[in-house]
Amino acid sequence: MSSRSERERREAAQARLSAAGITPTKAKGGGGGGRQGLVIAAVILVVAVVAGLFVYFSQPSSTGDAAAVAPTYTAARTGTVVMAGAPTAPVTVDVYEDYLCPACQQFERIYGDEITTALNQGKVKVNYHGIAILDRASEPQGYSTLAGSAALCAADAGIWPAFHSRLFAEQPAEGGPGKTAQELAAIGQQMGAQGDFAGCVNANADAAAIAQATNDAAGNEAVAPGGSFGTPTVLLNGTKIEINDQDWLSRAIGA
Amino acid sequence: MLDVVGTLVRLGLAAIWLVSGAVKVVDPIGTTVAVDAYDVLPGTVAPVVAAVLPIFELALGALLLVGAGTRAAAVVSALLLLVFLAGLGQAWARGPSIDCGCFGGGGAVAPGEEAYGTELVRDLGFLALAGWLTVRPRTRFALDRRWDRGDGDEPGDGDEPGDGDDGGHGDGSMTEGRSAPAGAGRNPR
Repeated sequence: MSSRSERERREAAQARLSAAGITPTKAKGGGGGGRQGLVIAAVILVVAVVAGLFVYFSQPSSTGDAAAVAPTYTAARTGTVVMAGAPTAPVTVDVYEDYLCPACQQFERIYGDEITTALNQGKVKVNYHGIAILDRASEPQGYSTLAGSAALCAADAGIWPAFHSRLFAEQPAEGGPGKTAQELAAIGQQMGAQGDFAGCVNANADAAAIAQATNDAAGNEAVAPGGSFGTPTVLLNGTKIEINDQDWLSRAIGA
Repeated sequence: MLDVVGTLVRLGLAAIWLVSGAVKVVDPIGTTVAVDAYDVLPGTVAPVVAAVLPIFELALGALLLVGAGTRAAAVVSALLLLVFLAGLGQAWARGPSIDCGCFGGGGAVAPGEEAYGTELVRDLGFLALAGWLTVRPRTRFALDRRWDRGDGDEPGDGDEPGDGDDGGHGDGSMTEGRSAPAGAGRNPR
């Protein structure tokens, strides 16, 4: 506020100093912006952190209730595809997932509740394609197929929504052993799986069909444009979407 | 001309942060996977870091680009790079096979495809840049030059084109700063 007079004072002081033959030495290490630079840097960096937190809390996963949305939709499988939601729903989504794929875990974390809500409301139907492209990334190999096969068992056993969510929520690390068939079976039985769930998981009977579905997906131009196939791949009414576009579902269902 | 070297260092570090922030900010899912792959943070915290980190990097890059608070930005850059180095080091030592995700990408890779050595050396190089600016933040074409005007005696230091808009601010802080003339100014009173 009194910068003018302070400046004048300073200049006067400097004049007195030079009259006395004193040359003020350059501050060592000056040039960093001093206090003003420090303040501006601090403000900008704090704003950046706040903006980042805002981005985080504006993700679809954070807009709902704290508790996960309870699934009330039905799911049935045909071959290796689990069809979730009302067949008459106006919007069709195809999700290609590998149960060992970390990006698929993030996809489920961010959009899982939003998709469940849309399924519950009958606004969308989702075809879940269990894919195994990361079989070599577990030790012993084959977790992707084992988990995909167990998820198909879960569809038959009437526990698909919870089992599917659980496999991603508790996804094992790549390079590790994954969950064993016994562990997968125990999870399903704890969820109230009907029939011989453990027998189905242990049989891993859909392994060949999952391998075939994986090859088919990789050769499908709509799913793997230019032969480039990765998981998760998501189609909205048959067209591949960018999953980093956080409004893809709300736009499609007019929410 | 140490100022010229410093300027190149500052702009180089700015470019590093701007590029690495930009590739992360457009791929939040990939960034989360990369952060999670370090296997250091709980699963609920990794997404928060993944959301904040890219914007923070962009902010650091912007500060360094215009040369505002160069020393502060350099210190924060160095600290952040030390965190990255620690993350990489623990991954290397502990075993998960990951790509650093420093400039996008990231996540697990097949054993044998890691590039920990290269990534560590590269980050150490970046740390050296930040170290230079921490020790010697004085550079050309920096907003700081205006705020530090009392420090230097080369005429026209802070008077690059377009600098004139908030000169009054600069003058005000100078007297409070720890620059020599301001300190000297207190004596006669």
